[in-house]
Order: sequence, then C-alpha cells, then structure tokens
Amino acid sequence: MVLSNEESPIYDIKISSVGPGHISGQDAAQELTGMDLAMKLHYIRTVYYFPAQAFEGLTIIDIKETIFNWLDHAYIPCGRFRKSDSGRPYIKCNDCGVRLIEARCNMGLREWLEPRDHDDDDAKHKLLVSSQVLGPDLFYSPPVLMQLTKFKCGGMAVGLSWAHVLGDAFTAASFINLWGQATRKQYPAQPLRMAHYNNEAQNSKSPIREPLSVKRVGPVGDHWAMKNETNMETYSFYASWAELTRLQSSICGDKDKENQQIPPFESLCTIVWQCVAKIKRDSDVKMVTICKKDSGNSFEGVITNKAQRVKVVKTDVPVVELSPIELGLLIMNQAVDETKIIEEVMDSDNELPDFLVYGTNLTFVDLHDAPIYDLNIRGHEPVYVHCGINNVGDEGVVLVFPSREDHCDGVRVSVTLPENYISDVKSMLKKEWSLCSC
Amino acid sequence: MPEILPDFSSSVKLKYVKLGYQYLVNHFLTLLLIPIIAAVTVHLLHLGPDAVISSVKSIHLDLVQILSSIFFITFISTVYFMSKPRPIYLVDYTCYKPPITCRVPFSTFMEHSRLILKDNPKSVEFQMRILERSGLGEETSLPPAIHYIPPKPNMEAARGEAEVVIFSAIDNLFAKTGLKPKDIDILIVNCSLFSPTPSLSAMVVNKYKLRSNIKSYNLSGMGCSAGIIAIDLARDLLQVLPNSNAVVVSTEIITPNYYQGKERAMLLPNCLFRMGSAALLLSNKRRERSRAKYKLVHVVRTHKGSDDRAYKCVYEQEDHQGLVGINLSKDLMVIAAEALKSNITTMGPLVLPASEQLLFLLTLIGRKIFNPKWKPYIPDFKLAFEHFCIHAGGRAVIDELQKNLQLSAEHVEASRMTLHRFGNTSSSSLWYELSYIESKGRMKKGDRVWQIAFGSGFKCNSAVWKCNRNIKTPIAGPWEDCIDRYPVHIPEVVKL
Repeated sequence: MVLSNEESPIYDIKISSVGPGHISGQDAAQELTGMDLAMKLHYIRTVYYFPAQAFEGLTIIDIKETIFNWLDHAYIPCGRFRKSDSGRPYIKCNDCGVRLIEARCNMGLREWLEPRDHDDDDAKHKLLVSSQVLGPDLFYSPPVLMQLTKFKCGGMAVGLSWAHVLGDAFTAASFINLWGQATRKQYPAQPLRMAHYNNEAQNSKSPIREPLSVKRVGPVGDHWAMKNETNMETYSFYASWAELTRLQSSICGDKDKENQQIPPFESLCTIVWQCVAKIKRDSDVKMVTICKKDSGNSFEGVITNKAQRVKVVKTDVPVVELSPIELGLLIMNQAVDETKIIEEVMDSDNELPDFLVYGTNLTFVDLHDAPIYDLNIRGHEPVYVHCGINNVGDEGVVLVFPSREDHCDGVRVSVTLPENYISDVKSMLKKEWSLCSC
Repeated sequence: MPEILPDFSSSVKLKYVKLGYQYLVNHFLTLLLIPIIAAVTVHLLHLGPDAVISSVKSIHLDLVQILSSIFFITFISTVYFMSKPRPIYLVDYTCYKPPITCRVPFSTFMEHSRLILKDNPKSVEFQMRILERSGLGEETSLPPAIHYIPPKPNMEAARGEAEVVIFSAIDNLFAKTGLKPKDIDILIVNCSLFSPTPSLSAMVVNKYKLRSNIKSYNLSGMGCSAGIIAIDLARDLLQVLPNSNAVVVSTEIITPNYYQGKERAMLLPNCLFRMGSAALLLSNKRRERSRAKYKLVHVVRTHKGSDDRAYKCVYEQEDHQGLVGINLSKDLMVIAAEALKSNITTMGPLVLPASEQLLFLLTLIGRKIFNPKWKPYIPDFKLAFEHFCIHAGGRAVIDELQKNLQLSAEHVEASRMTLHRFGNTSSSSLWYELSYIESKGRMKKGDRVWQIAFGSGFKCNSAVWKCNRNIKTPIAGPWEDCIDRYPVHIPEVVKL
C-alpha cells in the first residue's frame, strides 16, 4: 500500500464534539503541575484495532451515547486551557468535550494490518489518529481527539490523540479503558482526578543544575508544538518474550556467571543504543534519556505525569567501544533520575520555559506494562494496538509497548529517527540481532 | 430616621387606599345588593308574617299564566345554556426532554462557531457576544446533524429529528392520559420552518394508525406564536364537534434551519433556537372535567401584519451567498412592544377586574379631555393573573415584557429558567414554562395563567387558562431531575 501518490484510503470524514452528558466540570479550575507543563509539547497517539463484533449493530449515536456517559466520569480532559493572571496555564473544566472524527476505510481490517515491506509502513497508523496539536488558538483547542474509522469488513479502529500535558501513556490508557467499561454499563465510583499541584516549591531554592534530559526551546507561545529540523520516520519491529530472553542471554552471556541480569527493556535499550551509535559514527550518542513508570506509588484513578521517572544515562567512553553487557550495566546502574530537577526548574522560573523532553537525547520510553490491551468494548479486546509518541526532538525516540502477534505475547519496539538513519538502523538490527518487522 | 418614616407611612397609607378602592369597585354589585336585600327583609319583617302571606295569596294567577311563566323561564334558560360556549379542558400535556447525546454546552457551541466561521472573525466576535449575553445554560440541546463541524443538515436528518421529537412527546402523552390512538378526533401539528410532504400531521397519523375520519391540520410558516393559533383552532373545532378529543403538537425542527452563512443579523437564531416539543390533549367531554388540569378561558390573537415594518421584522431570506436564514430586524423589540400593547388592549377588558378598568378608563378620558401629558395608566395585570408564561424568545423579549407589564422577578422566573435550561424551543416554550411552575408546586386550583407568544408576521397571541384542580409535586416532566437546581442566577455576561 503506497500512501503518497494514490488517493487516501480514508474517506467520508465527519468531525463533531462529544463531552459529558450531564453538567460535570462546573467550570472548576484544574491546576497543572510543573511536570505536566514540562511535557506539553508532546502527544501520545494510540490506535486500537477492534474486530467487527465489538461495534456490531451500534449506530454512531449509540456509540456517542457510551462516550457521553463515559465522559461524565472523566471530565478533566474535556476542558480547555486558560491562563491565570501570572501566565501559568490551567484547565477550565467547562465540559467542552473531546473532538470526535468519524471516517471510513476502503480496506478490510486484516488487509490493513498486513505488514508490508516498506520503510514507512508505520505511517499507515497515522492515518487513523488525528495529528492536531494544541494551539495556536489554545483556548479553543481540544487536548483529546478520538477518531473512529470503520473498515470495509465492519472492523473499527479507535485512534486516541492525547496531549502529554494531561498525563503519561499509562494515564491515557486508563482514561480510555474507562470507555470500555462504559460500553458494558460499568462506571467508576469517582471521576478521574488530577494530581494535586503543590506550589510551595515556588519559593524554594533554585535547582542545582540544568537538567540534561530536556532542552529549552521556543518560546512556543500558545502553539504547543515544535518543528523538527529533519524529517523523522518511524520503523517498528516485534519481539516475542522468547526472543527477548534470547537477546538477554546473548548480551549477558552465561546465566551461571555472577553478572547482574539485564531486564528485557534495558536489553533492548542497549541493543538499539549501540546500533544508533554505530550508524551515527560522527556524532557519537553519548547520552540517552530513559523514561519509566514509577513502580512505587499507585496512581489509580488519577491522570498525571508524576508517575513517570525521567532518567539520563551518560557515558564518557564512546559507545562503540563498550560491549553490550557493559552498556547494559551502565543503563541499569548509572542512570540519574532528573524528574525532581525538571520540576524544580519549572517551578522556580517565573517565565515558565518551554521544554522538549522526548528526543532531546535519544529517548527510550518503557510502556511494556501499559494496560493498552485492557480496553474491552462490549466484551471484545483489540486485535492489535499501536502506540506512538509524536512531536519529538531530532535525536529520536524508541518506544517499547506490549503487542500480541501470531498468538504470541511480546513487545513491539517503535524507533523514530531522522529519515536518513532509519534504513541503516533497520538493516543493522536485522543483520546483527535478527530483529525485523515481520 | 424621621426622614424614612413619612415615606414608609405614606406608602402604607397608599397601599390601603388602593386595596380599599379595589375592593369597593370589584365587589360593587355585591355591596349594592346587600343593603337592598337587608332593607327589603327589614320591611317584610316589619309587615309581619300574616300580612306577607295574605299579600302573596292575593296574587291571582290562573293556570295559563303559571304555565306561560314556567315555559318562558325554561325557554330562556335553555337558550342560555345552549349558546354558552362548550368548556374546553386541557386534560394534560407533555414536553419532550432531549437525550444526553444532544447536549451542547456553552463552550462547545462557541468553539464550533469559531471553527465554522473561522474566515470571518467579525462574525465570530458577534456570535460570541450574543452567546455571552443570551441567558442560555449548559444543558440546551441541538439535533445530531448540527453537532458536526460544519453542520450536516439534510432532509433525512430533519425527518429523523421530527420523528424523535414528536413521537416521544405523543408517547408520553398517551402514557400520562391513558388516551388511545383511536380516540383522537382532531389532530393539529404546528411546526413553522419544516414542512415536508406528506405533512408532519400525516406522519403522526401514519405512525399511530389514527382513524381515517380524523380531522387533521398542519400549520406551518406561522412562527413561534403558532402554538396558540393551534389552540385557537382546536377550540373552534371543539365548539362544533361535541364530545371530542383534540391533540395539539407544537414543535420547531432545528436541523434544516441552521444558518450556515456569515451575515450577522441572521446568525442570531442559531444562538438561541434549540430542540423541543410539546403535546397537549384538549377535550370538551364532560367526564374529563374532573381530571383536567386547566380550562381554557380566553384566546386573544393580534396580527400586526398590515404594517410593513412589522411584516418584515422577522423575515426568512437568502443572503449574498444564497444561504437561507432568518433576518431579524433591529426594531424587533419596538414592534414587539407595540404588538403587546394591541394585544393587552383587547385582553384587558376580558380579564382585568373592574377596578383596573375603571382607572384605565378615567385616565384615558382625562388624557383625552383634560391634559394629554398625563401618564397613561398601565393596568396591573398581576391582579388578573397568578402566573405568567412569556415566550422564551430571548433575554431581550423577557426583559421588555417584564418592564412593560411591571412584573416582578418571580413572575418571569419560569420564562428565564426555561430559556436557561432549554433555550428558545419556539412554540413549545410556553409549555416548558408551565411545567416549571407546576414542578415548583406553585400551581393551585383557581390560579389563572397568561401565556403570551410572539411570532413572525408580526403576531402577538395570548391564551388564558384557569387551573382546574390542585397539582401536586413532584410531577413527571422535563424538569424532573433538575428542578431542585433552579432558580439559578443568570449573570449579565457569561465569561467563557
């Protein structure tokens, strides 16, 4: 399926808004934490593919009714941004709603999901989710957009575009999982809330140093997006758990040895970091950012960015000279948690800087335990879910999310890099590690 | 302190004088008859019982005279009872409550307007200002086709809306009154701006399989006051057809009438008109008398169409781009005030107590003969009615009428709250307002209600109802789940 020259397979596009069915937000002002504002330039775009039975017999009004009922309990993302007197953005919970895009596809679901040997195969998923960003009319821009695309066979793709300022990918997944519950007439006891913003930090001491994992950009004003200097492309490959175990052992060597075991996510980080470093011979990749979920606290029922830990790993020795196990151990043990520093910088600077987090360095985001397959529509699970993080910096992003392919559980690794590096990375991963998208 | 007291005491004195005057004039006949009867009784007693009996016996009446008198009395009373108009009862009525999928919060409507009109920032500005001051709330409803950016109205969607809105109201009416479809003798449907073939009344006949000899009518193009015109028609028909039921359905279909252009004068209806409908059961059957909610007392219709300015003030036309919309002229309020004056000039003598009419007559004579500069006396309609239902045409209309009729905030509360909760639902808004008053528990037996509606033409129509029985709360209706939240304070300007 060549996308560029032919007519788009997506047609019959209709746009409307769906919000809470009853007065919910009551114009309350929801404050945003420093971490929320640090993530404001990024967007999480997830596409859920459902079989025909999930939405069988439902008219668009029936589907909208489930969404109206769902959003009664999740009204904060239905609000719009406003600015307080100090210029700090906050959310006004005015029940404005999420933007809903209806579309049709002239292909069947199975045909669509068939992998093609094309460098930009992952671009097809982008047709099923909105690429709209917040701004320039910030006060009237929806933070959440949903696209419902009906396939020729009756299958449905649900594309969720979620502004990272609201919360991380785990939060986005639990937000939309509530919709699944609503289709089965189950509702949470409490509406979703946001983490409390503690503005005592306003008067705290200035931070120790400037964080390495983020870059100051802009000023972006009311248009919360950054343009990349080079065109970015995405390539993804699948690895079953068995495959991951194989990779782990090839990095760590014998299990008998005293060496520390490198977990699957960190193993993937090691592999991809080395590949990218080898490809980018001239500009060595000496620093990467690792984003993982805070395993300690539970953020059930809360939409937040506080659960994400942003760590930076630095090496003085060129990466190509390190062995995989050495690199792996470096990632495990030498990662510096910069989350608090980022928050302090945001809170202490009255000017409220514009930060680029993903893509400032080569960023690895761990979503392997995100509950994306928990979206259950009327008893049906998605056949496939594709995650993406858009509007990232030029250094690229590697996303690891769960996947179920060929009846096997595993992960899909999505690599976003400038277009001139993508094919080299792809062939190197295939040659050296036998990792391919098939 | 001394400065305030005289004012207070003088206003109290004035109040008692007014009350005394009203009592005197309104009960004039009674006050006149009582002394006469008293005098006669005293005289009779004075005469003594024997004298009374003997004077009665002395009246010699033969059989012919007695029979003629009885025949004469019977004849007069028959003529009287036959020529009295049949009482028309409003057995019950229902209002349509839109589903949650039709909800359009303020912010959503504004955002959509900005996106649809994004090439015309001046029109966007205008529409925002209208919305901020419109008096609408967060729960008004628009039909599904209008939720799209840009709206997607087509005939199928319009028929769909008509079916949902009308059939829901009628289903509820059947459930509430126990009416069977075969018992409907007269059917009148009024919907101003959507008039397909077959008509909406034919659509109702088809859906409910009504009788083939039903008298059905479809009123279209008659504006927001058509509801009262429909009631007037039903009343006239029920005078001619004995022992009959009439169902009146008042609605306005929004889908095909959403203006898609950018002319400012034509954008106003988009901001105010919302989904709604009402279905009423009117009857002249004697057995409905005990359970009917209201009795129809008067209907007064005033048509100012002979004046060109009034005729053109609400005008459907195409704009420069060929898009159809309703043009509201700038002197709408002035014309409305004039139409109202005409209407109350006719209504006044029918409903006002004698005291007010006398005052009005005296001031009129005085202005004509003595001094034209005397202020015209505005009769106090609060003495004639307990409740007012002013068509929720917009905030300006309600403000204007409140000023002209000197009504308190509580009198216009039903209208303002209906505008807030449901928007301008056109001809059915009067019924949402009546339902509000009932839901608040303010309606008691004997209360009189005045419904005033304005519409294109320019027409001012009003209906007067008298409450027939006590209405207990809570009542099942469109206000069921939200009546406790009302009344709300509606700010002058809503900040977005």
